[in-house]
Amino acid sequence: MPRPKILVVDDDPDLVRALRLRLRANNYDVTTASDGYSAIASAQKEHPALIILDLGLPVGDGFVVLDRLQNSDALSGVPVIVLSARDPQSNEERALKAGAAAFFQKPADNDELMNVIRVSLGGASPASAVAIVGHPFGTAPPRPLTSSH
Amino acid sequence: MDHPITDHPTTQVLLIEDNPGDADLVRLRLVECKTPVNIHCVHRLSDGLASLSKETPSVVLLDLNLPDSRGAETFRKVMEHSPNVPVVVLSGQDDEALAIKAVHQGVQDYLIKGNISSKHLERAIRYAVERQALLRSLEITRKQQIEFKNQFLSHVSHELRTPLTCIHQYVTLLLDGLAGPLAPDQSDHLKTVLKSVNQLHAMIRDLLEATRAESGKMRIEPRCLALGDLIQQTVTMMRPMAGEKQIGLEIGVDQRLPLVHADPDRVLEVLINLVDNAIKFTPPDGSVVVQACIVEADPSTVYVSVSDTGRGINPETKTLIFERLYQDADSVDNNRSGLGLGLFICREIVRLHGGRIWASSEPGQGSTFTFTLPTYSLPKLLAPVIIYQDRLRPAFVLVRVELTPRSNPPRGVWKETWQQCLEIVQRCVYLDKDLVLPPMGTSGTAETFFVVASTDLDRSGIMITRIREQLERVPGLKSKCALTIMATPVQLPSDISSQSLEQQVLTVAEQITGMITTGLVRSSCVEKKDKRDLN
Repeated sequence: MPRPKILVVDDDPDLVRALRLRLRANNYDVTTASDGYSAIASAQKEHPALIILDLGLPVGDGFVVLDRLQNSDALSGVPVIVLSARDPQSNEERALKAGAAAFFQKPADNDELMNVIRVSLGGASPASAVAIVGHPFGTAPPRPLTSSH
Repeated sequence: MDHPITDHPTTQVLLIEDNPGDADLVRLRLVECKTPVNIHCVHRLSDGLASLSKETPSVVLLDLNLPDSRGAETFRKVMEHSPNVPVVVLSGQDDEALAIKAVHQGVQDYLIKGNISSKHLERAIRYAVERQALLRSLEITRKQQIEFKNQFLSHVSHELRTPLTCIHQYVTLLLDGLAGPLAPDQSDHLKTVLKSVNQLHAMIRDLLEATRAESGKMRIEPRCLALGDLIQQTVTMMRPMAGEKQIGLEIGVDQRLPLVHADPDRVLEVLINLVDNAIKFTPPDGSVVVQACIVEADPSTVYVSVSDTGRGINPETKTLIFERLYQDADSVDNNRSGLGLGLFICREIVRLHGGRIWASSEPGQGSTFTFTLPTYSLPKLLAPVIIYQDRLRPAFVLVRVELTPRSNPPRGVWKETWQQCLEIVQRCVYLDKDLVLPPMGTSGTAETFFVVASTDLDRSGIMITRIREQLERVPGLKSKCALTIMATPVQLPSDISSQSLEQQVLTVAEQITGMITTGLVRSSCVEKKDKRDLN
């Protein structure tokens, strides 16, 4: 089975190198781009299964890239995970509205990131990989109905 | 240098004075001034404020005792209405003390009536105008500086993240063995590095958070929340840290604790911060207790406290510790990490919820941090929909709509999904007799909405069908989550009609709260259960 290809877009080459190593270890093929323009060119040429996208990029920032991808018939279905140092309070909603599948602020938790990649690519997610916040109704003991109607 | 009086050929004076004799006297003195003066005279405070709303005079000359306002109230109202207009108080000889008080609180000057020369008056006006302009420019500069500082801090915390991310990636790369096997002590060293990276990360987060709080940009999203679960979650998360120091971590939550109206993420942040502090300042073998209760005298407030058996806090620093950047001098040699922002952030979060936070302690006896949160008042929400023509409507049904995601979607994505569903549910009910309750719980994997419908069980079927049909039309929802809709009648005591209307509302609310918190809706009423996978 071919390994899914992931396009990593970030202008920090050191970070790209580390991500490439980690993604390869998780059985993904990796291709990279370091600016907005080459990100779009590379997406068109390589047809990645998923894109990891920084927002602060030279030559067309992450939002420009998101916009181009959304407007391309061939690429609008490719899930994009935004990985940015920017403040989620002002960028997360905007990125999701622009078509991103998820927003991670740097530094991101590796397990969580890998899990979201797996889920976005249509794989199963091990429940333990993501911290699940307790839900009050999930833990409440069921009580028998005491009166009839 | 600006000289407003010489720049503006005519000084505009608003004279607020009800005594015609005093008004004429001031007018006379003003006319004698060397600089041209334009006087507008009113006799009541309300007329003065109305005039200030229309145009801004150079100065207000203000008598404090007017027909519609007396004493300190008068200048407070003027300054509140027009903080940038200089005010000179016209005082009687017997109430100079009040005039001095007014100066302390921000009016520019005062003049004793009957003692006013035109030279004196002219100078008072001129200085008042100039001082006010100076104060204003200082205030503008101060605000600019705060804004600049906040922008700087926000920029710095962003810039720090980039190299931190790189360090984090490479350390975890090595630790996960992705660059080859590690010797045990090498792995230990790297774990130490990772711990420091995480500390640095937390500090950067706090820095941004505190900046946000200071500039009023912190937001909360309150929900209807069972606090006991949040406390349980906090304790579960913090237990390993307490365990390392052999510190007992206990919970004491009042069984009858009402639901609160609060942002679960933010309250969790406060709880974690307080418990984290408590553990840090408690010696090994001590204990930390998280409690939540309600006091009879104040039933609309929940009190949450974190107590420890640490060394306590000095009385004089009890309030200082909540200030931004405060660092306990003793804590430095205690190897305490942090920027002194944690309690400041806690205070701001609690304040945004309309609550208070304080510390009580005796040195050497441990300390207790307490904060308050408003309870969630179901009766207030219910009253308008369950009462019709001064009577309780005959029957109510509680509808539960549950969305269970099929996988673990990223929080932001999931939130957008369920918020869209909530809006749809809101459009499926009658606004005058049904109520969609605010989202409940800690916003975990499953999201549940409750609708109180003024109808009986049979007729609620129409609403359920409508909700299901509308939700099924949401593109992509089928693949994202499973949908469960259930309806349960609200059982009311047979003698409810003998109660006062107010009491009846409370009874209905109590009943519904019981159904929600005990999960009755989930387990009962199998015949109306409408569980359908959307696939």
